[in-house]
Amino acid sequence: MSVDLSKFQTAFFEESAEHVATMEEGLLQLEQQPSDLDLLNRIFRAAHSIKGNAGMFGFTAVGEFTHKMENILDALRNGQMDVTKPLIDLLLEATDGLKGLLEAARTDAAPDEAIVGPLRERLAACGIRGQAPARGLSQPGTVPLPAPEPVPARRYAIHWAPDPAVFARGLHPSQIVRELRSLGELTSAVDLDHLPTLEALDADGRALSLSFTLETEHSRDDVEDVFLFVCDDSELTITEDREASPRRGVRRHGVVATDATDAETRDVHDEREPRNTDPSVRRSAFSAHRSEGEAHKLIGEILLEEGAISPDVLRQALSQQKRLGEILVEQQAATPQQIAQALDKQQKLAQAAPAKKAESASIRVDTEKIDKLINLVGELVITQSMLSDLGARFDMDKLPVLSERLAQLERNTREIQERVMAVRMLPIGTAFNRFPRLVRDLATKNGKQIQLVMSGEDTELDKTVIESIGDPLTHLVRNSADHGLEPPDERAASGKPEQGAITLHAFHEGGSICITVADDGRGLNRDKILAKALQQGLISDTDKLTDEQIWPLIFRPGFSTADKVTDVSGRGVGMDVVKRNIEALGGTVSIRTEAGKGTTFTLKLPLTLAIIDGLTVRVGPETYIVPLLSVIESIQPKPASVKTVVGRGEVLNVRGAYLPVMRLAEVFGVKPDITDPAQAILVILETEGERVAVMVDELLGQQQVVIKSLEKNFQKVAGLAGATILGDGAVAFILDVRGLIELARHGAAVAA
Amino acid sequence: MGKQILVVDDSATMRQMVSFTLTSAGFEVVEAGDGQEAVGKLNAGAKPNLVITDLNMPKMDGITFIKAVRAMPTFKFTPVLMLTTESDESKKKEGQAAGATGWIVKPFNPEQMLKVIAKVMP
Repeated sequence: MSVDLSKFQTAFFEESAEHVATMEEGLLQLEQQPSDLDLLNRIFRAAHSIKGNAGMFGFTAVGEFTHKMENILDALRNGQMDVTKPLIDLLLEATDGLKGLLEAARTDAAPDEAIVGPLRERLAACGIRGQAPARGLSQPGTVPLPAPEPVPARRYAIHWAPDPAVFARGLHPSQIVRELRSLGELTSAVDLDHLPTLEALDADGRALSLSFTLETEHSRDDVEDVFLFVCDDSELTITEDREASPRRGVRRHGVVATDATDAETRDVHDEREPRNTDPSVRRSAFSAHRSEGEAHKLIGEILLEEGAISPDVLRQALSQQKRLGEILVEQQAATPQQIAQALDKQQKLAQAAPAKKAESASIRVDTEKIDKLINLVGELVITQSMLSDLGARFDMDKLPVLSERLAQLERNTREIQERVMAVRMLPIGTAFNRFPRLVRDLATKNGKQIQLVMSGEDTELDKTVIESIGDPLTHLVRNSADHGLEPPDERAASGKPEQGAITLHAFHEGGSICITVADDGRGLNRDKILAKALQQGLISDTDKLTDEQIWPLIFRPGFSTADKVTDVSGRGVGMDVVKRNIEALGGTVSIRTEAGKGTTFTLKLPLTLAIIDGLTVRVGPETYIVPLLSVIESIQPKPASVKTVVGRGEVLNVRGAYLPVMRLAEVFGVKPDITDPAQAILVILETEGERVAVMVDELLGQQQVVIKSLEKNFQKVAGLAGATILGDGAVAFILDVRGLIELARHGAAVAA
Repeated sequence: MGKQILVVDDSATMRQMVSFTLTSAGFEVVEAGDGQEAVGKLNAGAKPNLVITDLNMPKMDGITFIKAVRAMPTFKFTPVLMLTTESDESKKKEGQAAGATGWIVKPFNPEQMLKVIAKVMP
């Protein structure tokens, strides 16, 4: 039977990532509590699991590397080494190296030897127990599998006197006999020499010894294998009769193989190990299953293997094979330019493919969540059967029952929707757990003392959102460590504790999640920001700006007030990217700061990206969904408040501010019912502080909609964020407010 | 009904792989994430014909678990196979002393594992 375990690789990488996180987190804690044995055991177990599992998949580089880490951890555990900062540094670096190795294994890439090589040596130099690397984990492919030699029939004389302990371990002599019998022709005899007298009989004592003669074509190793689990605590001799002599009587106990040479009477204890650890046996592991497998074989390969064609024939046939592009050009079905473009696109897609592979598609869900879901589906099925029962013999009297059942169906559906969404929810702690390490590194690098306080790690939000906020959060934390917090002497001088604090806090607020990154540092420098903004031409010196208008300036591209550029932040890239990323997720960033007291960044994010609250609007025959978050207000303007301004197109005067007007009908090329803005509805949308007035025929209502990707199913369309399916089965497009504003700007530029 | 095997390992990946191999071979599998959970399952009435256990586990490690199994009259003679790595030579001895029937050395392939099981399955 062949079992393909390669499908468990995803699980392995996920689990390993968790173990690596455990190690990292544990090592950071260990620095504070060097004598915590539980902690050490936890770290050791994580390393040990990675090692063991990596071997199963043939990821030898991962296995060997982890083995070296494990040695050090074991030495720490046994008190043979002490926890020191350099050692923690090394182990943390090794954790990074391990991450790289795992990543390389996952993407089938070669590990970065420039990083891993020196680490490996440092780890080896550090491990005080000069343990040989696990033999089973040696480089795959270096040891060829020995070809099985044809073995002539052999005869073995076996004598076995098991220690009673063997039976206490759940083994039974009959199993040994059964297995020996499966190897060949067996004669067995019980040796009664050791049988005590009845008076001296000890039920648990050694009384039994067995002799066998086995005629078999199997090798001696196979015979020894039978006794694999008993040879340690048994008296065992296996003797080979070289000549296939006629069968003799079974020898009695105590007579050891007189007709064999000494060399052949092997001590099984000594021989056991090397054979057992023979890499050729173990290495077969799962590496064979790691290839793409039969499913992806080329037809030529299969024909070759089956001997249907010769390699020469194949080569010749292949040389005659034309590329699709050539054929199409010959048939004038496509121009060479089109082919070249398509090839270019193909190449780009191929380059994008590995990145896609990087996105792990699976999610680990608490079984409790799944149980609840199954429960709800059960209820849904009941409701459904009740409804079809009702439908089978319906008359108008039953209308109240019907509406009751329908209400029940609605409740079921809503609950299932909520539960299914909950499946995608992960605690934000998974995004937070990288920070202790980051802050430690930054503190060391900057010569600062930083305490990281985290709270609300259990707050749950959508997996996609969690994956996307990691980078923006990292940037904010770096920013705080690098610019926000002062060096210890400066802090002391201003009467603050030398150790600065960075606080990460997550909490739910309505349908959103808020994450704050706060430091107790020097606060944003108003004058510096103003000077810089002036220098960059973002503002003019006549502008009277309030604090609330000044702080967001740091989100402008290319803006940095750092006196010197460090390798972590202050390059002037980042804060604008933070803002853009958060807004791409439908979130907002705000700043609160006080000179000398510190700065707090607050990120507000939607809980999920898959479902949004939408305002349904109608333009001619089409229905569109406007994300409710972006809607400021909807108005029916007075005729005088819509004007056409040279260079800006149509604008709407809303309480003194002029907003560009977009006729949705024109943008998407549909025929509207209303062309006069004064008769139509103008929906005012805002994103990133910019507003636009979108003209529609009618507001239909408000509903939650499930976003279906246009890119995935069709292609990106400017001004549209996706599509959804309405209650009546019709498809409605979801507006992309950001895109619309850009279209409006572009349109104005064209008009000008 | 196939024979039942109790699989004890804290690594979900390993549990999945072992379970998959065993169920593919027609065994019925009961899983536990550590020794404590496994003892719980045995006390709750699981009657495995064989036990496969990892050694390094949180809460209750494999050695303690094997001892606990041997101390239960019902499972005094149930074969217990431990999963070890080759560097665990001392663990192998310790496991045997605790009452382990045999061992499966990691990394192993499914066929090797099934072979060892066939060896000790009553």
